[in-house]
Amino acid sequence: MRHFLVMTLFAFLAAAVFGIVAKDSPREQFLYGVKVFAEFMIIGLALAWILYFIPFSDYGGH
Amino acid sequence: MQKEKLKERDPDEAPSRAWAMGAAGWLFPGAGHLLQGHWARALILGGAVWVCFVCGLMMGGHMFSFGGDQQGLSALLQIPPMIANLGSGLLYLTSWFFDVGFADDPQSAARATYEYGTTFLLIAGLLNYLVMLDAFDISAERKS
Repeated sequence: MRHFLVMTLFAFLAAAVFGIVAKDSPREQFLYGVKVFAEFMIIGLALAWILYFIPFSDYGGH
Repeated sequence: MQKEKLKERDPDEAPSRAWAMGAAGWLFPGAGHLLQGHWARALILGGAVWVCFVCGLMMGGHMFSFGGDQQGLSALLQIPPMIANLGSGLLYLTSWFFDVGFADDPQSAARATYEYGTTFLLIAGLLNYLVMLDAFDISAERKS
């Protein structure tokens, strides 16, 4: 759960900066920020599931 | 007279005020926008950098500096992350001065959030470079 919260915090902060810096109008900034946030979350979760099924030696898991 | 000066100015040439705003934004995250009266932008952009940096430190992250114990290639590999960390400006310099977040001991590295913290500290610096450029562009009237 902590991993997910940290990822969410990171995605939120990065999306806020990207959204404001990349677009001009408040509406565009908000929509772009939401899009970046969603992309971070979806790609993060997808990568997590892909890595989950890859057997990484004898690390022992968590 | 003022208009003639503006017309004569090369559009690609940034005024010295823009450089000062960029420098202020780098030194103190959010200050570049704050000095130009963009309160909301300063609060969100500067706040994001500050939160990122403080969270990184609280998670026990590690910051990079050139020199120290490393030698040769190992020392050179410290430079790219150090440039990212350096983006935090005064936050990085203050931490370096008080030796906070620079400890390279196994106890810190053993923390479950060590890698997250290190990443947050790197991201704080990189985000602040973007914020700094935004403040520069606004001051140079390249964006509103």
